[in-house]
Amino acid sequence: MRLFYVLGYAALAVFGYGVYVQIRKYRRGAALKLEGGFWTRLGAMLSSVLSGRTVDRRDPAAGGAHRLIFYGFMLLFAGTATITLEYDILEPLFGIRFWYGTFYLVFSLVLDVAGAALIAGLLFMMYRRGWMRLPKLDYARPDRQPGDPDFDRPQYRREDWAFLWMLLIIAATGYVLEAARLVWLQDRADVWDTRWWSPVGALLAEAMRAAGLSAHGGGLLRHGLWWFHGLIALILIALIPSTKVKHIFTAAASLMVRDPLAAQRLPRIPESVAQAGAAKITDFNWKQLLNLDACTKCGRCHEACPARAVGAPLSPRDVILSLREFAHATLESGVIPDAAELDVHGKAPGQVSMETLWSCRTCMACVEICPVAVEHVPIIVQMRRKLVEDGAMDPLLTKTLQTIHKTGNSFGESKRKRGAWSKPLPFPVKDARKEPVDVLWFVGDYASFDPRNQKVSQIFASLLNEAGVDFGILYDGESNAGNDVRRVGEEGLYEVLATANMNALASAKFNSVVTTDPHSFNTIRNEYPDFGGKYEIQHYTTLVKRLFAEKRLQVTRPLKYRVTFHDPCHLGRFNKGYDAPRDLLALLGCELVEMGRCKANSFCCGAGGGRIWVPDPVGAEKPAQNRMKEAAAIAGLEVYVVSCPKDLTMFEDALKTTGNEGKFVVKELIELIREAIPAPRAEAVPA
Amino acid sequence: MKIMVAVKQVAALDEDFAIRSDGRDVDADFFIRDLNEWDDFSLEEAVKIKEAAAEPVEVVAVSVGADEVDESLRKCLAKGADRAIRVWDAAIEGSDSVAIARILAAVAQREAPQMLFAGVQSSDQSFASTGIATAAFLGWPHAAVVTSLSLAPGAKSAVFRRELEGGLLHEVEIQCPAVLTIQLGINTPRYASLRSIKQAAGKPIEVLSLADVGLNAADVGEAGSLSRVRRMYVPDKGRAQLIDGDAAQQAARLADIIREFKGAQT
Repeated sequence: MRLFYVLGYAALAVFGYGVYVQIRKYRRGAALKLEGGFWTRLGAMLSSVLSGRTVDRRDPAAGGAHRLIFYGFMLLFAGTATITLEYDILEPLFGIRFWYGTFYLVFSLVLDVAGAALIAGLLFMMYRRGWMRLPKLDYARPDRQPGDPDFDRPQYRREDWAFLWMLLIIAATGYVLEAARLVWLQDRADVWDTRWWSPVGALLAEAMRAAGLSAHGGGLLRHGLWWFHGLIALILIALIPSTKVKHIFTAAASLMVRDPLAAQRLPRIPESVAQAGAAKITDFNWKQLLNLDACTKCGRCHEACPARAVGAPLSPRDVILSLREFAHATLESGVIPDAAELDVHGKAPGQVSMETLWSCRTCMACVEICPVAVEHVPIIVQMRRKLVEDGAMDPLLTKTLQTIHKTGNSFGESKRKRGAWSKPLPFPVKDARKEPVDVLWFVGDYASFDPRNQKVSQIFASLLNEAGVDFGILYDGESNAGNDVRRVGEEGLYEVLATANMNALASAKFNSVVTTDPHSFNTIRNEYPDFGGKYEIQHYTTLVKRLFAEKRLQVTRPLKYRVTFHDPCHLGRFNKGYDAPRDLLALLGCELVEMGRCKANSFCCGAGGGRIWVPDPVGAEKPAQNRMKEAAAIAGLEVYVVSCPKDLTMFEDALKTTGNEGKFVVKELIELIREAIPAPRAEAVPA
Repeated sequence: MKIMVAVKQVAALDEDFAIRSDGRDVDADFFIRDLNEWDDFSLEEAVKIKEAAAEPVEVVAVSVGADEVDESLRKCLAKGADRAIRVWDAAIEGSDSVAIARILAAVAQREAPQMLFAGVQSSDQSFASTGIATAAFLGWPHAAVVTSLSLAPGAKSAVFRRELEGGLLHEVEIQCPAVLTIQLGINTPRYASLRSIKQAAGKPIEVLSLADVGLNAADVGEAGSLSRVRRMYVPDKGRAQLIDGDAAQQAARLADIIREFKGAQT
């Protein structure tokens, strides 16, 4: 018995040292001050963890099994802990006992059920890993070749199975122990008569007796197995900090430090920091290092990533796991290696290549679905900032950034021509810098310069005009809003653009801002406030919905189209603007058929994160084409509706390249509104 | 070792622009200013030599112009130049490329670099003469349109290649110090991030007057120039004509025009 205590303390010591090493690793990351109160964070974390809802999403079977394991494990752990509390502390020190009577019986029942739940959950997880062949559980990496040392990482598979088997053995031997004790003490009435309070144990005991196990034999079995059970449990405890078991702590901690705007509002580079972006593993902050350890390789981000879906060398999961291995190799020993050995950029195991980083479209699908609040996008963008400093990017992207710096727009057009699209309109569009307006319309680059999108801008201006909205634009005072420049990682240029726009906005008089561009919407709404620019801003869908509600716009020719709606990343996932466009489609009389991937799971068109400025590899499928095929599967689809200028560009192109031209059309929601409210003659835009 | 890189801030034009009232240049309001494209390459070549060298190499960017040129010099500093020098005096206004070369040569004498790079030409004026004229003032050997260069720091000579007509390559050895004008495509110029440009504000831009480089007003401006811009204008359009009529009429008219251009042939 004394030996067991020695082993127990040893296990606790190993556990404690492991925890120390992990915490020391996180503390080697950069400093970060969290926003928000501790209790709010704790509450949010507990609500996620106890409900298990983040694990449920897009995989309810796994969520259910996880819940069985979670609650089974927690109850059994609590049960064991209270026994220890009574046996080792309260009774010897204070003579307090509570482990008898009704309490004991009820607790027996609860633990018995908990054990069954745990085993059921574990068996399902084994079935899932062994037989369901889920692609998201395949550890082969899209950014490595077969034969590379870290290509499919069989050690991960071994660890997964070892974890499941260990828990299963602990749970199963627990039952055998219980049954053996019943057999052993079958002559003690207080034990035997209440055996059915432990139904599984009692059944097993009956079976053992039927198989001819004597009371003496039961005693021997119990004694031997007790050691086995105890040792495995102690090994599990000792191994927590160095194996995937640690997700019990790291996932909870990660959820607790979650930033609800992680991808929407990228971190600023503090004035005091000379270097931009992450070059070394220690350039990530402690929270990001913790994020790396929270990952359970569930593969939900791997599955959701549009870059991965079209075969690009990027899986958000593998960026995280690579960096985790890197941190493990460099930051867990007593001394930190030289700076040269901390470089996270490259192709060696643990490093992340620039091809991988540039494949990201910052669509936020990974961040949104992660059950444990890993924030991939800021990690990727911080690494890109370093690439931008080094000029390690596609020459076309370099050219675009220079163009944006020079002209304020990505089209390389003269600033003076920014408002030129409004000239053909039969009414003047106010210059908000010269006269006060109620609504200031931030138009954005694509809606200002792209000929196809200019038509949409003209329609929107007409609609506002007909609805009697007092609106204006900034003309050449407006620059590219910078959303995508920031996501490329060109933080300096972003600051220049944001400042220029904030100055232009400061020179105008208006009550609120509306924008037809979800990208501009996101950065003005979520990021400009960090630079002192606070505006009331809405996407046009919200404004138009209100105009309908106020009867300032009325459908005169209901449309009977069968449509599907593509949620733009920056409107939907980024800013939860799922409802307004759908409400508008209903108002217009359209029949909406959702695609499988919609709302939070909407599939990026491929334009985000500056990727619209870099051509996709020739021959490979583009995300927009992947999406078009999904839409084409809807029987009788007539219109593929978008509400983002970049989407219009990307999908009209994809419609042609996937051979769907003539089958259905891509339209901006604004164009459908126009169709349902035919323009009065005088208002018609000259072609 | 020291490499001096002569750079120029050029002006690109907005789509609509107006000619200055004296009719000799475009109104500066319509300029979009940027570093001359060729100079991106010559600066990159110097910075590459510096980065590859075991011994310290100093890269000095030099330009002639008013304060707005600082922006382009800061870009050079951001891309790896160690120092920048800007020469300006109101008298310099109106200088042609030879007068500018006289100023650059004066700076080169002061700095005494082992090598002086310039772009083959500037994208706004395209005289392609400043670099070579500078060599003439210095009495240094020179070569134009260099497309590849191998220069070991401290060496007495450098070897470079030039592309000639007919797909020929010219490999030449040249004594240092020399003036080379660098052609586009010799390397891949790096990107100067806005942060690096901002941080380059900390690096020095030395502003020199004419007196500092040992020149006086008579050496520069129109007085010191060998050529003078008489006027700048947009030529009359009108050589294109629209052919009306149906297809047959248009074809007949087109045939007439072609015959007219071919001239009489029997």
